[in-house]
Amino acid sequence: MASLQQRPGLRAGDVLRYTTLTVLMVFFLFPIYWMIATSFKAPEDILTRPPKWLFSPVLSNYVFAFREANFGLFIENTLLVSVASTALVVVLGAAASYSFARYNVGKGHLMFFILTTRMMPAIAVIIPYFLIFKILGSSAVGRAIGVGLDRPGALIVAYTMFNLPFAIWLMHSFFQDIPRELEDTARLDGLTRFAVLRKVVLPLAVPGIAVTAIFCLLFSWNEFLFAYLLTRESAKTITVGVAGFWTQRGILWGPLAAAATICVVPMLAFALVLQRHIARGLTFGAVKG
Amino acid sequence: MSQDQALPRADHGLEAEQPGDGTMAPEQSGPTPTTRRRSLSDTGYAWLLVAPALVIIFFFALYPLGYAVALSMRHVDLTSSVGIGPYVGLDNYRWALHDKQFWVSAGRTGLFALVVVVVEMSLGIWIAFLLNGLRWLKGLFRSFLLLPLAAAPAAVGLIWRNMYHADFGVFNSLVAGLHLPEQNWLGNQRLALPSVMLFDIWQWTPFVAVIVLAGLQSLPKEPFEAAELDGASTFMVLRRLTFPMLAPVLTLVFVLRSIDAIRLYDPILMLTQGGPGTVTETLTFYLYRVGMKFFRLDQASTMALLFLYATIVFCLMVMRRLMRQMAERAERR
Repeated sequence: MASLQQRPGLRAGDVLRYTTLTVLMVFFLFPIYWMIATSFKAPEDILTRPPKWLFSPVLSNYVFAFREANFGLFIENTLLVSVASTALVVVLGAAASYSFARYNVGKGHLMFFILTTRMMPAIAVIIPYFLIFKILGSSAVGRAIGVGLDRPGALIVAYTMFNLPFAIWLMHSFFQDIPRELEDTARLDGLTRFAVLRKVVLPLAVPGIAVTAIFCLLFSWNEFLFAYLLTRESAKTITVGVAGFWTQRGILWGPLAAAATICVVPMLAFALVLQRHIARGLTFGAVKG
Repeated sequence: MSQDQALPRADHGLEAEQPGDGTMAPEQSGPTPTTRRRSLSDTGYAWLLVAPALVIIFFFALYPLGYAVALSMRHVDLTSSVGIGPYVGLDNYRWALHDKQFWVSAGRTGLFALVVVVVEMSLGIWIAFLLNGLRWLKGLFRSFLLLPLAAAPAAVGLIWRNMYHADFGVFNSLVAGLHLPEQNWLGNQRLALPSVMLFDIWQWTPFVAVIVLAGLQSLPKEPFEAAELDGASTFMVLRRLTFPMLAPVLTLVFVLRSIDAIRLYDPILMLTQGGPGTVTETLTFYLYRVGMKFFRLDQASTMALLFLYATIVFCLMVMRRLMRQMAERAERR
């Protein structure tokens, strides 16, 4: 941006930059390394003083985690809940966000109200949610669509609710950055408003929508409190499964690290794979003038 | 605002809210093909797009809110035979405002949010600038940055608990290596809160960095090229161009981080559970203790509402400027 020279070769500034960033990256990556390393340690290598850096890796923690807890089911539940709620958030959020950006519905007040719904402490809404899902769960409608206590539907709805404000706000700037002239031209070409949204605006907003979807998926996958309080066994998600190794008798560090790795690594891989897409999405705003 | 700027606005469904432009709206809707069938006004269409999201948000936000308001005005004690008891007016509010622990935990929450948000914003912006100036490996570093962000706080929080372990933890091994006294990070009255802060900073600084980097990369090149030709100093470019243009992004990140920092829950649960004593008990955790351990849902709801009210006031103050900027941007187009 500011610096335009493309001279090859290493300069003093570069060395400083790369060194600083490397040190920072060690800080940001170490806990993840530690989690993975601990998950492969034999019990006698875990609580040692000083901590062991070299050890012969074993798989017993993973075996234990899958034997003691139903991790297959937890993964399945988590996947279902995250993907479904992300899809809902993206569709509903994109429509609303576009409307706010393009038509300024509610003149900002409505958008602010939407943001305030994210400010409720989760612990304060959990009791009403519990009641909503208890009532829904015992009704025919709730049973038909799988919404109720200890059913994935409850978490899908709850996460949709919690991610919508974030999604609407995040996508807002992306929609604002789409030149209005493009839409006006398309209208002159005879497209309906909805066709303009579908064929002109949404394709241009894909990077923004993708970034939003990535964040929503992460938030849903990683959520703990709602999953903990709204599920018992059959709809339990993976984060709750991890905390399950904090038992009455203490923390089972090895299986816990294995479970945490199972929980965290898919999201890390997901973020890495979509990294370039995120980058494209984030550079997209250059259209703005 | 000049007339020719007002004109394009008139045919974008804003005429109803813009009395001044109303008179010319019908003639001026020329650019868009009004000859086509138009069963729905632009305003109607705009509301139709918002409606589905609004229905969900209204139902799942207003019902819990109403429920909390109702509980806050009753005597509710699930441990006694009273259950959901009689209407008591504002007694719970009076109780909360005189409850020392409420104020202490509120102050602690404020302190926590202030420290982590300031550190995360400064560090995040700095990292974004560092990354933005890179010529190679930018993508690699950015991928690395996404990792803490992608890790579940509940899961990785427990790993941090292990790292903070007084006897077997990595932090103490590091500290001992530097010949400094070992610490009981999560068990020490003075260190417990900063230890939780460090975890939050670890997790959320990358969020700030990634979004600010996106903002930096989306800035138009022309003003910066012009400034460079004019020989403007780096400081002037930052002050006059970069930061003003980044302001909306920065405000948004600031608000999002603040809201999440004061609502902090998972890390407290996983790292300290409010202890030692109550030195890391933030407002949400105190709420949890009152509501879920003492079963005083009335008092918990009351404090939740006071908390919500304070958050909204705070956000209104911070966001007034952002909202104005957004409104101006919306009008300019």
